[in-house]
Amino acid sequence: MLEFRNVSFSYEPGTPVLDNLSFHIRKGETVGLIGANGAGKSTIMKLMLGLLPAQGEILVDGMPVTKQNLSVIRQKIGFVLQDSDNQMFMPTVYEDMIFGPRNYGLTREEADARVERVLKELGLESLKHRHNHKISGGEKRMAAIATILAMEPEMIVMDEPSTALDPVNRRRVISTINSRKETKLIASHDLDMILDTCQRVILLNHGRIVADGEAETILRDRALLEANRMELPFCLQGWKGR
Amino acid sequence: MNKLTKAQTELWEMDELAKGTSPIHGLHPLAKLAVTVFYIFTVVSFPKYDLSGLMILVLYPVILYQIADIPVSTCFYKLRLVLPLVCAVGLVNPFLDRKILLYIGTVPITGGLVSMATLMLKGVFSLMASFLLIATTPIDQICAALGKLHVPQVLTTLLLLTYRYIGLMIREVAVMSESYALRAPGQKGIHFSAWGSFLGQLLLRSMDRAEELYSSMLLRGFRGEFYYVGLPKARGKDWLFFLGSLLLFLAARNTNLPELLGSLFMR
Amino acid sequence: MHMADALLAPAVAATMYAASAVTVGASVKTLKKDEASAKLPTMAVASALVFAGQMINYTIPGTGSSGHLCGGMLLTSLLGPQAGFLSMVVILAIQALFFADGGLLALGANCWNMAFYGCFVGYYLIWRPIMRSGLFASMGAKGAARAKLVLASVLGCVLTLQLGAFSVVLETTASGITELPFGVFAGIMQPIHLAIGLVEGLITSAVLLFVYAARPELIQDVDAASQGGRCSLKTTLVILAVVVAVVGGGLSLFASGNPDGLEWSMFGNAESGYSENMGLDEESYGVSSGAADVAGAIQEKTAFLPDYGFMNSDSAAGTTVSGLLGSVMVAAVAVLVCCAGGFFRKKKTAAKA
Repeated sequence: MLEFRNVSFSYEPGTPVLDNLSFHIRKGETVGLIGANGAGKSTIMKLMLGLLPAQGEILVDGMPVTKQNLSVIRQKIGFVLQDSDNQMFMPTVYEDMIFGPRNYGLTREEADARVERVLKELGLESLKHRHNHKISGGEKRMAAIATILAMEPEMIVMDEPSTALDPVNRRRVISTINSRKETKLIASHDLDMILDTCQRVILLNHGRIVADGEAETILRDRALLEANRMELPFCLQGWKGR
Repeated sequence: MNKLTKAQTELWEMDELAKGTSPIHGLHPLAKLAVTVFYIFTVVSFPKYDLSGLMILVLYPVILYQIADIPVSTCFYKLRLVLPLVCAVGLVNPFLDRKILLYIGTVPITGGLVSMATLMLKGVFSLMASFLLIATTPIDQICAALGKLHVPQVLTTLLLLTYRYIGLMIREVAVMSESYALRAPGQKGIHFSAWGSFLGQLLLRSMDRAEELYSSMLLRGFRGEFYYVGLPKARGKDWLFFLGSLLLFLAARNTNLPELLGSLFMR
Repeated sequence: MHMADALLAPAVAATMYAASAVTVGASVKTLKKDEASAKLPTMAVASALVFAGQMINYTIPGTGSSGHLCGGMLLTSLLGPQAGFLSMVVILAIQALFFADGGLLALGANCWNMAFYGCFVGYYLIWRPIMRSGLFASMGAKGAARAKLVLASVLGCVLTLQLGAFSVVLETTASGITELPFGVFAGIMQPIHLAIGLVEGLITSAVLLFVYAARPELIQDVDAASQGGRCSLKTTLVILAVVVAVVGGGLSLFASGNPDGLEWSMFGNAESGYSENMGLDEESYGVSSGAADVAGAIQEKTAFLPDYGFMNSDSAAGTTVSGLLGSVMVAAVAVLVCCAGGFFRKKKTAAKA
């Protein structure tokens, strides 16, 4: 579904953000992308969506990320931004949800049907006509996920989907992620969530892949994590109470 | 900062009011917009001494507030912004225009006094009318109505986008003001040394936000088109409201109804 | 200095609406070529920020009071005149609709008074000529840019606020609302807005200096001069003329408004500076509909200013007592107007009441 072949990127010459990166995500996989601040997680996401120009080759569903393919690629990959306020710019949740489908040529009726279906799947019917600037943080995150799902992407990419959520809303996002059949790539510092949602983890440090493998194996490896400015997920730290 | 949170509450309050379900809320936004503009036009078109003629127009907002179930008092809080300039200009009239128009008993009423009162009433009336419009019509519907009037989409979309982000920006400014105030006890405002960095920091961050926002649009196939919930179709009652109000305003403008009423009792 | 509905006659309001609408139309048209859609998010976020930023109190050093930002020049310098104008229009519309600051009918006038001058006049007459000139070339590229930035912000804010305040006076007088003689009204408004403009200019330049240090590419025309534009004699003269006109104009009005005030005689040529300022105006107005009014009123003003000092105006104020009372009132009005402008939202007092 997604393949990086020797991809490098730098904002300023001489200081590479990504350094000769290669990995392959197969259809239906859920992959966690972890790494300390500045490891290059967000850059990877922007590169595959064509928001930044990459050196090397990036293939989405066998298609290279080039200017001509952008429209198709952006339809295939849905990107859930870290800050839902930046994602939801229309007045109401409904108008935000039809924004993508309508831009991709669906009629109002077709778009409406999609909105109804997605809202029902996520149990968000009550949000439909609410104003984006007045819904709570948890609702906003769910609505942001809904706007992306309404585009019916084949792959969902999420940047820190669990930040600034209370435990209930965090749990809700996790179960939503687990209920989706699409290919998923999730970048996060919330390693417990990664453990709950992903089968595979890619660990980055300073723009290089340090480890790529089964989630449980990598997330249990205290030495590996700590060497890369991370720590064990809380659930594996052996907390026994005071 | 107190001022900021208050502004936000004010904004949210209007939003809540506009969600009502009264017959006035249900009217076509274009009809309401047109009637409001026409009402204000009528109000300000009264000559400066025609206090009695103007008085009749108080009935329109007062009655509609009742139907819309909005307490008249809610709009008076907003008067604090409009009235100072109006008062400032109006208050000098009694001193400069001392032509005596009539006597009440032995008390002379000068032209200045009358024109001052007229001016202030004009200020209050037009505020009441525009408040009524906003309190009964959500902003997206107003923008849709403006679109119908051929206001360019760039402008209406900009209005909606700005409105969407005002709350966010107020919050950001409020948070920064608070953190400033916590570290600078006793200062009433932002010290000279931080004039640039205070708003500058916010500005830089906002520019990043705008970039992110734009990529979010691009990722969803943005090509310059925005799709909104459209306007409802105009029904009979919308036309009735529109034409009826128009006729009543014209009548009120052309005949001095309060004087007519008064003359009935003065023989 | 938000105009209120009540201060406008329908004809004046309609004229101002027409003038602003034409400007909006022209801006939208110009922007279309220039990828308006790509600029939309930036415009929206910037105007939302300026809206919130207007509520920040800036302490003025050495005084107990605080200044505020209006934002016209700031938006223009960041977004360019067309986008800046549209952003200001949106801010003013939201203020009129949701905060009753200004009014629905006065929106056209407010857009003209605050957005048009701040964005178009400020940009084409002040910002661009100064930023593209080779002024301060001896200070090095960065230093020159910084100095030009401050000069352009302060001059721009002062000039555009003077024009805006003057328009408020013109519109009110043309509407036949007030008995206040034109000269006196202007004599109160102009000096107040001279001070407000100065403070606004300083705040604007402080913000822009910060932005320039961090992300210079965000500011319009800022590196234009470094591409080798030399300070032509003409640009320098134009800028100098504007400086003299703005300062002279403001001070002459101050002087005329306070005949027994400070010793303004030291600015003997202030009167000529004033008319120079207005001469410049006519050019900047071009062929717009407001031009005729303004030009006419200017002539009128310059003609009757000398024999229309406040104390002599007994056409209405008959006796000395009333003359005295009148002056007290004018003083009160000055304070009120000061509080009334859009720069001073008296939320605190209103909330306490």
